[in-house]
Amino acid sequence: MEEIKDIVLEMVQAVLPIAVVVVILMLLLFEQPGDLIARFLVGVVMVTIGLGLFLLGVKVGLLPLGEAIGSELPQRGSLLILVLFTLFIGIAVTVAEPDVRVLAHQVDVVSDGEIAKRTLVTFVAVGVGIFTAVAAARVVLGIPMAYILITGYVAVFILSAFVPPHFVPISFDAGGVTTGPMTVPFILALGVGLTSVLGSKRSLGDSFGFVALASIGPVLAVMILGVIYA
Amino acid sequence: MLLEVAEALTPLLIIFVIFQLLFLKLPREVIIRVLSGMLLAFVGLALFLQGVQVGFMPTGTALGEQLGQLQYKWIIVLVGCLLGFVATVAEPAVRILNHEVEKVSGGYIPQRVMLYTLSIGVAVAIGLAMMRIIYGVPLLYILIPGYVLALILMRLSSPTFVSVAFDSGGVATGPMTVTFIVALAVGVAAGTEGRDPLLDGFGMIALAALAPILAVLVLGIIYAQGSAEDESG
Repeated sequence: MEEIKDIVLEMVQAVLPIAVVVVILMLLLFEQPGDLIARFLVGVVMVTIGLGLFLLGVKVGLLPLGEAIGSELPQRGSLLILVLFTLFIGIAVTVAEPDVRVLAHQVDVVSDGEIAKRTLVTFVAVGVGIFTAVAAARVVLGIPMAYILITGYVAVFILSAFVPPHFVPISFDAGGVTTGPMTVPFILALGVGLTSVLGSKRSLGDSFGFVALASIGPVLAVMILGVIYA
Repeated sequence: MLLEVAEALTPLLIIFVIFQLLFLKLPREVIIRVLSGMLLAFVGLALFLQGVQVGFMPTGTALGEQLGQLQYKWIIVLVGCLLGFVATVAEPAVRILNHEVEKVSGGYIPQRVMLYTLSIGVAVAIGLAMMRIIYGVPLLYILIPGYVLALILMRLSSPTFVSVAFDSGGVATGPMTVTFIVALAVGVAAGTEGRDPLLDGFGMIALAALAPILAVLVLGIIYAQGSAEDESG
């Protein structure tokens, strides 16, 4: 119960200031803002409670799962299994990430269905999955982070020349959006579990690299989607 | 809608089942915890998505369109900065980052400093994003210099800060930013003459994700200078 109170308080704190600013803006800019403000406030309440419950659910159920999986995985032998499972975990976590869904919905609406929500979510999820697996492999194989990051970014910039122009902002947004309220804690928990078992000699920097890598994956994936569209 | 939420959470459920059966063999109480966690997440996600689709998106876009039609374009940029600042100042994830930076710097970079640096950084980012919409600047023109700057700063900054920096990129893209402010940006693009929402409306998140990285790197440089001075002084 204490946790619920904490999370709700946190959410309200996060949302209240901006809600106030938005309502003031609406009052200033619209002649009859009542309807709009009401809608917005209802949205605020639903988003606050909804996200609060979601975060609670993640904290209670999924983070412990993440850490347990993280410490279990390396003990199961081959690198292949580690990579495979990290791939699926990355996909699963991203598909559930609220921010990803919201962006995909927005893109779907604005593009008039040209870029379907499900397609975008799938590509983003696969992108995250692959790079999370790469990140896990990196910890085991000891490849420096910089190599992978730089290769990733170079590939992204090269691809950006071949996609329809509106795909570029969407890809980069997809990258920013996957590091959301669910993915970050989960992947960190996973990373902590992994590194604690594998890389006791390695610095703390290893667990952190996961998030950075998990952001490039979706950018690349959506770029590739763009190439397909071209 | 509920189907969509079910779709969203099913893969996680599958992973849990697979792991539980094959590897984990967690005790019953933990299983119940995980499952109740998932149930909570299900309900929460459904409410959240509904609130966004019915409440935030239409109102955000409407507000954005209103803004886009304003005569004085600088107001749009100002509003963007204001919203960015307010959203970041209030964001819980930011608070966690501030705490971590203070710890990592041994108190040299207090939480307040980090908070305002970040919030101003995001404010600038969103202001830039609005300018991008108004003037139709391609995203890469802003993004690439930004990344190059990050690389340069990386060299100069303290190494511990570098790893914190790149992981802090996601910190500013919280629920309000991603849902409401994006809808606003799309609305501005729709309301501004000569701009296409699909082409110009997105990209704000990318910029808002870059800002914290740059902010932390800059603070890392200040820290590196500071501790170097301490050693020589």
